[in-house]
Amino acid sequence: MLGERSSVNGKNQSLFKDRPIKILLAKPGIDGHDRGIFVLSKAFRDAGMEVIYPGLLPKPEDVVEIAVNEDVDVIALSLLNGAHLTVFKKVVDIMKKRGIKDIAVVGGGTIPDEDKPKLEKMGITGNYGPGTPLSVIIEHVKKRAEEARKLKMA
Amino acid sequence: MKINEIISGVLRGDKTSISRAISIVEGEPGSKNSRMLMEKIYKNIGNAHIIGITGPPGIGKSTLIGRLSGIITNSGKRVSIVAIDASSPFSGGAFLGNRIRMQESLARNGIFMRSIASRGMEGGLTASIWETVKILDAGGSDYIIVETVGAGQSDIEVVNLAHTVIVVLGPGLGDQIQALKAGIMEIASIFVVNKIDLPGAYIAIKDLQDTLAMSPQKGWKIPVLGVNSLDGTGFDELISSIGAHMDYIQTNDNAKEEIIKKELKVIAMEELRRSFERKMNAFLSDQKNGEILIKGSVNIYQIVDSILHDDKE
Repeated sequence: MLGERSSVNGKNQSLFKDRPIKILLAKPGIDGHDRGIFVLSKAFRDAGMEVIYPGLLPKPEDVVEIAVNEDVDVIALSLLNGAHLTVFKKVVDIMKKRGIKDIAVVGGGTIPDEDKPKLEKMGITGNYGPGTPLSVIIEHVKKRAEEARKLKMA
Repeated sequence: MKINEIISGVLRGDKTSISRAISIVEGEPGSKNSRMLMEKIYKNIGNAHIIGITGPPGIGKSTLIGRLSGIITNSGKRVSIVAIDASSPFSGGAFLGNRIRMQESLARNGIFMRSIASRGMEGGLTASIWETVKILDAGGSDYIIVETVGAGQSDIEVVNLAHTVIVVLGPGLGDQIQALKAGIMEIASIFVVNKIDLPGAYIAIKDLQDTLAMSPQKGWKIPVLGVNSLDGTGFDELISSIGAHMDYIQTNDNAKEEIIKKELKVIAMEELRRSFERKMNAFLSDQKNGEILIKGSVNIYQIVDSILHDDKE
């Protein structure tokens, strides 16, 4: 329709109301398995989000710098190589050091159940593994994006 | 962040503030904050040279920008990049993939780069692009590179925004008939044929040169350059052509006047478009009006008049 634009969940009208959810997908560290991240990119796009994917092998510093440049609502980190406890932590540590509080971080990949509480404690939520329905992931991202959006202009 | 912090941050050249300022103008176009921001920074703009890069999808615009921006940075100048990719007409979502081709150069050189979705705008740009460029200008960029959506023949909006328009083409896009066509082939300050290593590249250069030779070129002579963005072939010529075009604009009063007129046109058009959207949405969201339209036997021209001249906003 004329002049209609998608907005965040159609509800959060006061903050950047014309801007869809913006999400950065990244695989920091040494991990070249990008099939899953492409599937997620398309799912988020089809859910009305604006998706940034910077390619393989970004450093944790790069991930944070890109998130700031693009002013994303959510960073979605994925690793299939088992380094999530060290590399995901690096990303949130850099964010803390730079004083970034208004970007949510979610995780995913091959993450053992016993590691999930540790990631949650760092503020990294979701942590979904293979076989998770896309709708579950999308709902979670929307929820976290809304929280981040509220903080952006606070 | 508070709006006043953002404004002073932009003027200091702080990337976080610049980024947030762009979010405001793209997220709440025409809002009080966005208007205040633009008015406060306006006195600090006018220093940056704006380079528009356009051309068909997949021709290598992003890769070219990656290399070009690195060379400019190494010459001691500050460069920022805005790249636009298409939004889905169905979901409103977008996959903004320009960054992939330039990320290495961005990370190595600390270049600010922002991806923006087209959000339903036609012509190759996006609604907030003008404000975005001005924010980067006020933030101290010497050069701002704007990459359009992969362009079709009539996507020529970038000509109203950029000081130097680079049309990127490649081998295999067609013969001289294509080079003769109107639209995107008429807006270039510089033609670049990318992928010069592929067969047919030199024929593409020749077709462009032949077509340009048919019309007398007064003032600026449009160069046709062959480059390979992956290995850097031809980039010395590209850099010196951009420099020559900058000098041409600076020493030519007509060119300067054209740019100011275009700028005025863009701002006025954007205000007009926003006012149109407000009025149209107000009309369409009113249930009563829907019923009037369905009933038929209405004079649609009269209704259009009443919408467009409704000044109570």
